[in-house]
Amino acid sequence: MTAHFPFRNILTRMETEQLPQEVPQIQTESGVLKTATACVAAALIPGLGHAFLQKWDRAIVFLVGISLMFAIGLRLQGRLFNPEFADLFSSLKFLAEAGTGILYWLCWLRGLGVGEPSAYTYDFGNVFVYVAGLLNMLVVVDAFDIAMGRKQ
Amino acid sequence: MTDHFGLMVLFSALVALVFTFLTKYGARERIRYFFFLFGAYVLISVVAGWLMYPFPF
Repeated sequence: MTAHFPFRNILTRMETEQLPQEVPQIQTESGVLKTATACVAAALIPGLGHAFLQKWDRAIVFLVGISLMFAIGLRLQGRLFNPEFADLFSSLKFLAEAGTGILYWLCWLRGLGVGEPSAYTYDFGNVFVYVAGLLNMLVVVDAFDIAMGRKQ
Repeated sequence: MTDHFGLMVLFSALVALVFTFLTKYGARERIRYFFFLFGAYVLISVVAGWLMYPFPF
């Protein structure tokens, strides 16, 4: 009966086929603490999470690249959106900008980034600041993967 | 530097730099990937701008 079962070969192959190599996961208590610390550090200051994980080249590039984008954005009359959730687009803009962590909050508390909508470079400035924050979110995910042992 | 093209090139360079270090290892591979990404960003932006040129807004 089983010899004539039409899917026998397929099922046998599925049983014997090797699963993809499992990604090593760090699940010890110290590993979880290290991962959490790296993620929080990366979210606060661009590159700090990678510095904590001793990935110095990436740490320097992320710190310089993202900070520079943020600074250029403000220099181009970009606006820092307030942490208000009155409407969807303002909320998304705020979340994108707040992705830069301390950079955003320091500048916001100091009253920088008022923005000048009539300025020639206003839109460019905004895009630089949004993308700086969004890139830093990717950097946090990268730090998470490295701390978990999924990446080098 | 406040001209559109210059800012676009600067933006492309910085984004390409961060993406390169996020995804590639090794100096040679990073250099090649950086220039690939940077060139792609600039080229696609110019082509997109050229295609949008007839738009009335």
